[in-house]
Amino acid sequence: MTQENYDPAAHYDRVTEAWGLLLGEELHWGVFSSPDEPLAQATNELTTRMISASRLSPGLRVLDVGCGSGTPARRIATEHGVEVLGITTSQVGIDAATAKTAAAGISGVTFEQRDGTDNQLPDESFDRAWVLESSHLMPDRQALVSECARVLRPGGRMALCDIIRRRDIPFAELRERREDFAVLRAGYGAARMDTLEQYAGYAESVGLVVDEVTDLTTETLPTLDKWRETSAQHRDEVISLIGKEGYDTFVISLDILEGFWRDGTLGYGLISAAKPA
Amino acid sequence: MENTTSKAGEVLDRFLARADKVAPYDRDTSLYAEGLGLDSLETAELSSMLEDDLGTDPFSVGIMAQTVGELLDFYEA
Repeated sequence: MTQENYDPAAHYDRVTEAWGLLLGEELHWGVFSSPDEPLAQATNELTTRMISASRLSPGLRVLDVGCGSGTPARRIATEHGVEVLGITTSQVGIDAATAKTAAAGISGVTFEQRDGTDNQLPDESFDRAWVLESSHLMPDRQALVSECARVLRPGGRMALCDIIRRRDIPFAELRERREDFAVLRAGYGAARMDTLEQYAGYAESVGLVVDEVTDLTTETLPTLDKWRETSAQHRDEVISLIGKEGYDTFVISLDILEGFWRDGTLGYGLISAAKPA
Repeated sequence: MENTTSKAGEVLDRFLARADKVAPYDRDTSLYAEGLGLDSLETAELSSMLEDDLGTDPFSVGIMAQTVGELLDFYEA
């Protein structure tokens, strides 16, 4: 593809379609009670865990930070009667999310291009802040949580889930395993992982009261086998969308992630916190 | 050692070009954050390139250089 005919929206659509084929419709990890469960059931369970941590009820106003193409936003609006503003830094993502929501005929869900670490939204204007697997791509994690706390009304709640780091990685080890980390960066972006304790510290430092810290590393591990299955099943389609190099990077990354999951380096966690009333 | 220092600068330039972080810098420019913006993985990659080309590098011997100047000074020692 040349720079002259590069179309960001078309590129976003291709990448989103490819990721949908690889990761499943909800585009995030799954929480498995058994490795035999279907991927869709497990990804649905992760969203359900977030819903439970958020204590959603009809009429609440939810800020979805890093909303992607809006699948969880549409689900919580439809199933729980909440009003959702989804924000992401990607304008093509906003356009895609808005189009999908309109096509589904769902009201009360809107999307705006905003930075989760400096959202420019009014103080105390939301009842819930929802951060589903987007925080690892925001380098200033403290600013993200501070902004969530700022826009929450007293009594509001923040729920966040993401890939986490489960131990310190000494520089010598990082250097030794740099090729593995480079593959993950090529596949998933310039991510940086924090520990659950760090996330809790960010929340507490801005006056939130942490009431759930859950390590989901074991329950999310079977996701990787499911992604191996989907990548084999959709190999040709994915290569046609993102090329063989992108496909190969994804497949290699699954083994690297499994190694990190199993040796206690990386994992998955969920945290929720309340703003005192 | 000036030749080695010069080679270290060349390695740094090559690394920055490969990492798509080409920007003006001087000896006082930070390697991290508001300077060249290296993250921990990029620092590890730079460390490896320096060792491959020059036989040693400050990071792998426990000297966490903060600025371009501190990095180059390692090779003047």
